[in-house]
Amino acid sequence: MSLVRQVFGKPWIWAFLATLATFVVTILFTGGASTVGLAQAALTFGAFSVIVGLGQMFVVTLGPGNVDLSIPATMTLAGTLALKVMETQDGLIWLGLVVTLLTGLVIGIANYGLIKLLRIPPIIATLSASFIVQSAAIWTNRGIRIKPPELLAQFSTASTLGIPNVAWLALVISVAAWVALERGIYGRFVSAIGQNMRAARLAGVPVDGVRFATYVLCALLAAITGFLLSCFSGGAALNMGAEYLLTSIAVVVIGGTAVAGGFANVPGIWGASLFLFLVVSMLNTYGASAGVRMLLTGVIIIGVIVAASRRPAR
Amino acid sequence: MKHSLVLGSLVLALMSGSAMADTSGKKIALSNNYAGNSWRQAMLQSWDKVTKPAVESGVVAAADAFTTAENQATEQAAQIQNLILQGYDAIVINAASPTAINGAVKEACDAGIIVVSFDGIVTEPCAWRIAVDFAGMGKSEIDYLKEALPNGGKLLEIRGLAGVFVDDEISKGIHAGVAENPQFEIVGSVHGDWAQDVAQKAVAGILPSLPADIVAVVTQGGDGYGAAQAFAAAGRPTPTIIMGNRQDELAWWKEQKDANGYKTMSVSIAPGVSTLAFWVAQQILDGKEVPKDLIVPFLRIDQETLEANLASTPVGGVANVEYSQEDAIKVIEGK
Repeated sequence: MSLVRQVFGKPWIWAFLATLATFVVTILFTGGASTVGLAQAALTFGAFSVIVGLGQMFVVTLGPGNVDLSIPATMTLAGTLALKVMETQDGLIWLGLVVTLLTGLVIGIANYGLIKLLRIPPIIATLSASFIVQSAAIWTNRGIRIKPPELLAQFSTASTLGIPNVAWLALVISVAAWVALERGIYGRFVSAIGQNMRAARLAGVPVDGVRFATYVLCALLAAITGFLLSCFSGGAALNMGAEYLLTSIAVVVIGGTAVAGGFANVPGIWGASLFLFLVVSMLNTYGASAGVRMLLTGVIIIGVIVAASRRPAR
Repeated sequence: MKHSLVLGSLVLALMSGSAMADTSGKKIALSNNYAGNSWRQAMLQSWDKVTKPAVESGVVAAADAFTTAENQATEQAAQIQNLILQGYDAIVINAASPTAINGAVKEACDAGIIVVSFDGIVTEPCAWRIAVDFAGMGKSEIDYLKEALPNGGKLLEIRGLAGVFVDDEISKGIHAGVAENPQFEIVGSVHGDWAQDVAQKAVAGILPSLPADIVAVVTQGGDGYGAAQAFAAAGRPTPTIIMGNRQDELAWWKEQKDANGYKTMSVSIAPGVSTLAFWVAQQILDGKEVPKDLIVPFLRIDQETLEANLASTPVGGVANVEYSQEDAIKVIEGK
């Protein structure tokens, strides 16, 4: 009994319950024949949301007003630049990775520079940075879709032990994030700043350093996702990151991370990412029109958030 | 008194129809609402390519392109107001909304400025419209499939961006075609937002629930390559996927054609339609009588014309044609 109560007290359980429900409803359409295919598709596309979602989660946890809106532009620029320097050659993959990480690093530093030095609120700072980054992507890309090196294209679309490779990668990053959050000093710092920045500063938390590191981390994860996504879908396109702006925030919120900051959780990001993919697939499968689909998606998301934000009975 | 005399003679001169006003002193502006995809990039490049020589040779005095940052109607309305103040003689518009910038368009007309809208057209009656027969484009896909797959079968439809007029029109055309040809049946429909990655994701999500005997995928452009990737990832045989003239789609088609004789067709609007709008504006400034509603032909690529079109399409671009002054005159005269 206490175990049940403990499990249902977790903020992430609702995202998983919703995921399970949508999954079952979707496969019922074909009488279960689509189970494996749907699970693989959900893990593949969920993985991209998980990686950007983790970065956004740390940023949101920093407290009210903290959000990174430059994620889509970062993804586009990183994917574009990396594919360009690799020139579809397997031997240059290392260079592509270096360029990806450098892109994330520079954008992260620029974001926090705007926030700290110019005292611009994070929403405005990251939004304006994203215009610059997107323009840079347009300038270097000019609509060009360059193919990824064959090796990378194969890796990102293949599976190991029945699980898509990108999902394995997301899992590794998630475990690292979980350890940093729950067991490491970094996670304690982030949570402390989100709960009360003044108190954290007085307690000796290096507030600026931690916030700086968090924005850089978020940009790095976005860059990595952009790199993976452009390899997965056979090339970088100018609008490829667009849908990840709202997705990255939605998975954080649905996953049970406090929007006001101070409390984060990693498992919820997975539940929410899979859920967001499955709910669209479910409504598509049952042939719901676009209007109905958006309406139901909104209603379902509100429902999950309301369920997750109820305080557990003590 | 003197003024009315001048005006009167001007009106007479215009009405006689023979007036060939010189346009070398006229300034034309392009007001564009979005630049963030390959189609729009090609559109802007075509504009540059055609208008630069026109300015250099003195056909017009200026042909400047302006793009708004946020794809917002309010922002574009403000931009048009600026263009009015800057004294342009004609404004060519790809509009963010068919109705929301009508106020600004009316202001421009009242200031004596010629307004020509294309692709994203405006409904304000004082403006010219260069529209695409999107429904006809959708129907042409089914007309092709009717010939290519006489036995019919199950279809998957990939739509564009929900809530956009173009998406409704193309889809309406496709459904009208299917209604006329009951041997076809649309068994699934997803929104791909005209983007390869979104289309890939949407198709991958619905594919496990679809029957195995999908014979064709009807699309709206920008989504064919993503659909092909999703079918390949699911380990399914590739159906006939209608393409949308993007270079990556054409390159993929060519690969398949060489490997196994894959057959399909590709249809979309050439981004060069911006240059048609430019010439139409120039013709109106020149005093030509131009009907308010013009229809631009769509660009179709078939099995035989694939190689030639692929060769002339830049990597990452869209198959394109630029229009000349003569082409514009032909469209105006309805030929």
